[in-house]
Amino acid sequence: MSLVEPMPETDAVVVVDSLSVTFPSDEGVAEVVRGVSFSVGKGQRIGLVGESGSGKSLTARAIMQLIPSPGSVSAGEIRIAGNSAALSTANAPQWRGTTVAMITQDPLSSLNPLVRIGVQITEMLRHHLNYTRTQARARAVELLSAVGIPNPPRTLRQFPSVLSGGMRQRVALAIAISCNPSLLIADEPTTALDVTIQAQVLDLLEEMSATHHSAVLLISHDLGVVANFCDEILVMYAGRIVESGPTDQLIEDPQHPYTTALLTSVPSMTEALPERLVSIAGSPPVGGVAVKGCAFAPRCALAQPRCFEDEPALRQLDVSARRVACHAAGNATWPSRFQGPS
Amino acid sequence: MTQTSTLLSVRDLSVHFRLRRGPKDSRNVRAVDGVTFEIAKGQTLGIAGESGSGKSTVARSLVQITRPTGGTIYLDGSDVTSLKGRRLKEFRRRMQMVFQDPYDSLDPRMSVRDAIGEALSVSGLPGPRHDETVEELLRRVNLPASLARRYPGQLSGGQRQRVSIARALAVNPKIIICDEAVAALDVSIRAQVLNLLKDIQHDTGVAYLFISHDLSTLRFMADQVAIMYVGRVVEYGTSDEVFSRPLHPYTKALIAAVPSVTTRGRTRLKLSGEPPDPGNPPSGCPFHPRCPEAVDQCRLTRPELGTTDEGQSVACHVVLSRHGRDATRQVSP
Repeated sequence: MSLVEPMPETDAVVVVDSLSVTFPSDEGVAEVVRGVSFSVGKGQRIGLVGESGSGKSLTARAIMQLIPSPGSVSAGEIRIAGNSAALSTANAPQWRGTTVAMITQDPLSSLNPLVRIGVQITEMLRHHLNYTRTQARARAVELLSAVGIPNPPRTLRQFPSVLSGGMRQRVALAIAISCNPSLLIADEPTTALDVTIQAQVLDLLEEMSATHHSAVLLISHDLGVVANFCDEILVMYAGRIVESGPTDQLIEDPQHPYTTALLTSVPSMTEALPERLVSIAGSPPVGGVAVKGCAFAPRCALAQPRCFEDEPALRQLDVSARRVACHAAGNATWPSRFQGPS
Repeated sequence: MTQTSTLLSVRDLSVHFRLRRGPKDSRNVRAVDGVTFEIAKGQTLGIAGESGSGKSTVARSLVQITRPTGGTIYLDGSDVTSLKGRRLKEFRRRMQMVFQDPYDSLDPRMSVRDAIGEALSVSGLPGPRHDETVEELLRRVNLPASLARRYPGQLSGGQRQRVSIARALAVNPKIIICDEAVAALDVSIRAQVLNLLKDIQHDTGVAYLFISHDLSTLRFMADQVAIMYVGRVVEYGTSDEVFSRPLHPYTKALIAAVPSVTTRGRTRLKLSGEPPDPGNPPSGCPFHPRCPEAVDQCRLTRPELGTTDEGQSVACHVVLSRHGRDATRQVSP
C-alpha cells in the first residue's frame, strides 16, 4: 500500500519526502521534525498521532509552507501531485486554499474577528474561482447550510465571536472546502469541542471530504478520534514517524512499544478496568534535543543497550503495509525485559 | 452508603448569576440549580458534563470562590455553606482544589519550595521544618527533591500538575476537588497522574470530587458518577451502573459519542444540536430539543431527579415512567 511502495506519484495528492524542520536553539539547531516521509492518495484519510512536541503540527505546517519564523524546512521536499515547484511560498496565493486547505484547533484564531463571516467565505470564492459578488453570496449560503448552520443568511452577517465553538468550526470547514481542495489538513479540529459536538464535526468532515473528493490529513493527540476516522495512521514521537500502517492492523497489533503504550494508557469505555493504568515513565524529550539511539529508549520497557546506541530506521515489517522504527519489532529473540546496559 | 461514612453532603446547591447584557436585558442565569450529591470518606465522585453544564461552578462554589446562592453544604456533618474569615480559612484546609491549568494556578515567581512552603505555613508548620516536608511531599508525587529550587516556567506540564497536587496535599485535606486536573496533559503523562492520584487516595484516604469532560477518565477514577446538563444533575449512580447501564438519553448519547479505539467503525447514536444557553434554557426538560425520545410532557414540565427500580437516579419522564417508582421525590441523601 501507499506507505510501503512509494505510490505512483500521479495517484498521490501529496508526497512528503524526508522532511526535516529545524529551529535555531541555544545549542545550535534543534531538529524538531526529522526525516518524515509519507504520501496521501486521492480521497485517502490519513491520521497523524502524537503527543505535544512530537512534530505533528509542524509537519502539517510544512505542507502549507507556514513554518513559523525562525524555523525552516532544512531538508526534504513536499510535492503536490508530483510537482514540487507547485508548492512554494512565492506562489502560495494560488495553491493555498485550492489545492491544500487547512482547519485548525480553534477557528477563533484562524477566522478574522473583525470581519463578518460572509466576507471571509466569499473572498475565497471571488479570489480563486472568480465568482461575482452575487454568485459568491449564493454559494456561501449553500456552503453554510451544507455544514449545518441553521440560518445561513443571518450567519453571513455575523462576526465569528458570536458563534459557539462548534458553529465556528463548521464555518471554518465551509471555508476550507469551498474551493474543493485535493487535500484538507485538519489540525486537532475537535480538541476544543465537547464530545457530542466533536462527533458532529467529525461526521461532517467525513461527509464534506467525500462530497468534495478531498483527501484528509487528520492530526490529533487522540488515538480514539483518529482510529474512528482514518484508513491509515502515522504515529510520531520526538519528530519522527515511529510506526505506520492501516488502522485495523495498527490498533489490533501495534509493533512499536510507544504505540502499545498509547493504546493502553487510555482507560477503556467498555472493557474491565485495571487497578492501575499502564503508563509510560518519564516524559517525551523536549523538542529537538539530539538523542543518541532511539528517542523512546529511556522510557521503553523493552529497551536494550543497543537501543541507546543506534537509532532504529523506519523499516517495512514483513510483507504487510506496516512500517516501524524499533529494533525489537518482529525480533522473536528479543529479551522481554530490560536487563540494564552492561 | 451509610450515614457515618459520609464526608461531604451537598443539598440543593444553587448558584444563580444576574447577567446584564444591556440596560434592558438582564436575566437570571441558573448556572447550578438544585444539585444534590454526597461523597463518602476515601471515595471519588465524578462529575461529567459538557461546557456550560455547571460542573466547574459546582466545584468553585464548594470551595466558595463563587458563593452559592442556595442550598447547604455539609462537611463532616457540619454546615460549611456560608463561612467567613478564620473559619473559612480553616475549612479550606480540609477542602483543596487542583485546577486544569497549572500554568495559571502556580505563581510563576515562586519556586516550587516556596509554593508548597506557603501551604505549609497555612497549616501551621514552623518554618525550619518546611524543607524536609517539601521534600517528602515531592517524593509522594514522584518528583525528585532537587526540583524544589525550580520555578514553574522550568517545569513540564506534568511536573507542574504534580506540584499542584503536592501543594494541595500539604495541608492534609479530607477532600481534593480536581477540576479537569488532567485535561491539559498528554495521554502518557495523564496515565501517570491518574495512577498517582489513586495511590495517594489509597495511602491517605483522601476523597476526590473529580470533574472531567472525559468519560473514560471518570470511568477509571470514580466510584460514583453524576452527569450534569445545563445546571442540573440528570443521572446519578455508581460508576458501574452509569457506564454499563446508562438510563438517561443524554448519558447514553454522551457515552456513545466517546471516540474509542475499541468501538471504532460502529455506528453511533448521534446527538443533534448544541447544549442550550444556560441564560435562556428551553421549557420543560432542557434536553428535550436534542432528545431522541422526547414526548409532549418533556416540553412542558421539567423532570425531577427520581429513583428507578434499580436504584439509579435519573431526571427523565420517559425513563421514570418505564422504570421508575418515585418520580416526584428528590433523591434523598
